Amino acid sequence: MKMLSTPSNAATTLIDKRSVVGTIIVAAAFALVIAAPAFLSTYLVEIGFKLMLYIVLAEAWNLLAGYGGLVSLGTSSFFGLGAYVSVGLLNYLGAGLPLALCASALAGMTLALVMSRGLFRLRGLHFTVGTLALAEALRLFVVNVPWFGGATGLFVTLDLPDTPELFRVAALLLALTTAIISVATTSRFSVLLRAIRDDEDAASQVGVRAFRTKLAAFMVASGLVAAAGGLQAAKLGAIEPYGSFGLQWSVDALAIVIIGGLGMRRGAVVGGLFFVAIGELLADYPELHVALTGVILILLIRFAPQGLCGLAEALLARRAAERRLLTEGKS
Amino acid sequence: MSSYAPSPLLLEAAGLGKRYGGVVANDGIDIHLDKGHVLGVIGPNGAGKSTLIGLLGGAIRPSAGTIRFQGEDITGLPASERARRGIGRTYQIPRPFLDMTVADNLAVGQFAVAPLDSAAAAERERRQILERCDLADVADVKAKDLPLLRRKRLEVARALALKPKLLLLDEVGAGLIDSEVSDLIALIRSLQDGQRAIIIIEHMIRIVKECCEDLLVINFGKVLTRGRTAEVLASDEVSAVYLGTSHGGAAKPPRAAAPEPAAAASSATKPLLVLDAVSAGYGQARVINDLSLSAAPGQVVGVLGPNGAGKTTLAHVISRALPVTAGRIRFDGEDITDLPAYAVAARGIAHCMEGRHIFASLSVEENLLVAARQVDAAERRLRLERVFALFPVLAERRKAGGTSMSGGQQQALAIGRALMAKPRLAIFDEISLGLAPVMMDRLYEALAALKREGLTMLVVEQDVERALDLADAAYIINKGRITLSGPAAVVRHDERLRHLYFGTEE
Repeated sequence: MKMLSTPSNAATTLIDKRSVVGTIIVAAAFALVIAAPAFLSTYLVEIGFKLMLYIVLAEAWNLLAGYGGLVSLGTSSFFGLGAYVSVGLLNYLGAGLPLALCASALAGMTLALVMSRGLFRLRGLHFTVGTLALAEALRLFVVNVPWFGGATGLFVTLDLPDTPELFRVAALLLALTTAIISVATTSRFSVLLRAIRDDEDAASQVGVRAFRTKLAAFMVASGLVAAAGGLQAAKLGAIEPYGSFGLQWSVDALAIVIIGGLGMRRGAVVGGLFFVAIGELLADYPELHVALTGVILILLIRFAPQGLCGLAEALLARRAAERRLLTEGKS
Repeated sequence: MSSYAPSPLLLEAAGLGKRYGGVVANDGIDIHLDKGHVLGVIGPNGAGKSTLIGLLGGAIRPSAGTIRFQGEDITGLPASERARRGIGRTYQIPRPFLDMTVADNLAVGQFAVAPLDSAAAAERERRQILERCDLADVADVKAKDLPLLRRKRLEVARALALKPKLLLLDEVGAGLIDSEVSDLIALIRSLQDGQRAIIIIEHMIRIVKECCEDLLVINFGKVLTRGRTAEVLASDEVSAVYLGTSHGGAAKPPRAAAPEPAAAASSATKPLLVLDAVSAGYGQARVINDLSLSAAPGQVVGVLGPNGAGKTTLAHVISRALPVTAGRIRFDGEDITDLPAYAVAARGIAHCMEGRHIFASLSVEENLLVAARQVDAAERRLRLERVFALFPVLAERRKAGGTSMSGGQQQALAIGRALMAKPRLAIFDEISLGLAPVMMDRLYEALAALKREGLTMLVVEQDVERALDLADAAYIINKGRITLSGPAAVVRHDERLRHLYFGTEE
């Protein structure tokens, strides 16, 4: 909640006391997570992996939509791309997982760079539709071009790391994501990005190079999503276009951020926890799960457009105001 | 003036033109501007002044001509590159970054142009600019929570954060009262350090007179005339197309000789609208306090006062767009305090809101018809004809998009839309905001015609003279309370009015 407590100069100082304390806490938590598979049950390790993967996707989506105003339905295109690149490198070049994930991220960033010329011509809803078209086009491409195993997909032919190992890799990816997104959402860069979100023309008029700024955010987010896609492929051991390029990935990332709080620093984490928890609680009733998620989204959009984080913030603000009123009354 | 070597020429635009399809917005405009100079651009609404700002700022690509800035050809550069070279502009209708704080709004330009400047220096600079623009108290407030006039100041502040060499000010004085205009003039003068130049588009003739050395008059997208400010303002041609009756032009027309049946009737008949000790506000802030007011049928009531006094809030309270926290409101004997806005509208109160609120996706005619949906077709036709008779320009442009017209035409449309409901009481909120003097003349002539027809009106206005010419009675509001009220003729000569509006000088 750093941004909340110092709204005016959140952007001006990269490092202050709070963030030092925060970094120490985060580092300790990270160490705990790395050690976690040793003492957690297999089930919890599975859930933890899923949760971290979702948070990475949501963080990336929140950077684009919440801070940059780029509402993308193209998460799945980068996710699928990352999956195919990783599997390809693992199978045909015998690369290790870390190298494969790095290559996936690079591929994701390259695709973002190549597509940006076209996509950034579109604004608002048109951009959203453009990203959706990209995801569909990529999936059809993979299905119809002979090299990728068509609709059946590909299998990973090597021995893959076990789940605890993948859990640690996911924790590493999440830590990296958190670090990158933290910088991107609290630095001077975030001021430019939010200005573009609020009014791109006015931002240009005060000297913001809108294209470059959006591109930077788009490439960072796409790289992270592609790495997550590679990791998911390694977890499954097999990929096919309808799963990897499935719209579900885009929608889940969006739902998590809306639930947690669009444009809120903690939105992706809070939303991810909530989303995965609901999913596990209702795992035996899949249809109920979808319906309930829908109802929750509707309720949140109606009553708490800033998501759970926004709700908590409003409650805290009201509590603080009441307390202030009380102390004023006494004095 | 400067005798030393470097050329003082800052901006040179030659043959600048812009057409939209067949419509010519700007045509063959030449500008030479030296460092340290202030150029005023005036002209009727729709003359192409804002287009000129867009062309210079880079938001609009010219269809003809070249622009050179500090010797460099910048014609093909986008807005961001021009801003980085030192051209700062403001928007006539403010476009702040709504979800960001006021301070962060300023930081955008600083970080975009000088990303490596020290945080402390940037912060200090921001604070100075905010203090200069009288925004220091709202530095941490989100821009979306600022009212219109403070957003206009934020426009100026945001442009200043760029440390511009050329500042383009697009109607930053609209809606200010005299003492605030004095502050603005002082601000503009403080920017004249000999190194930068300023182009001002303004309908506030006082600002033009006191700040600009030279004037460029634009009409129908072309340069009508140019020259020294005093000479241009004195010319008959400019009076005819732009100034109208307001300044230096012909003597006032006999519009003060409006008939006064209403004033006589007011004491005899029951009042149409009564506000009894009303208080209202937003959240914790109480904007109007214990305010009582009444309007007799056929009477025109002027509501005057400085910015932030609560005039617009009062208008919203009457049309029931804002709940009251205390007091009662009666309309034609009926208590309407707890009625919703649509029910009040159905009883015959029409509210022509500040800022026009034209439906952009509807045509002129559709905008008008929306306000008369519930009546039968013949009656609707009749009302439409009446509005068209009052504002012939609306008939000409009946198929045009609602917001495609000039500011003055849009305001005429907003008034027309209020009349389409055939109201028994019409509330006009700041209808002169941002209009050329000659356009204000026309609108007020229309209101005078409505008055002759016996329409009861509540006129919220910044322009004291115009309001008092029209009104039968006037209420002066300050800080949410009525400080003075009475017949317009009496209020006009009251010393307290002068004191409130013009500061302590008189």
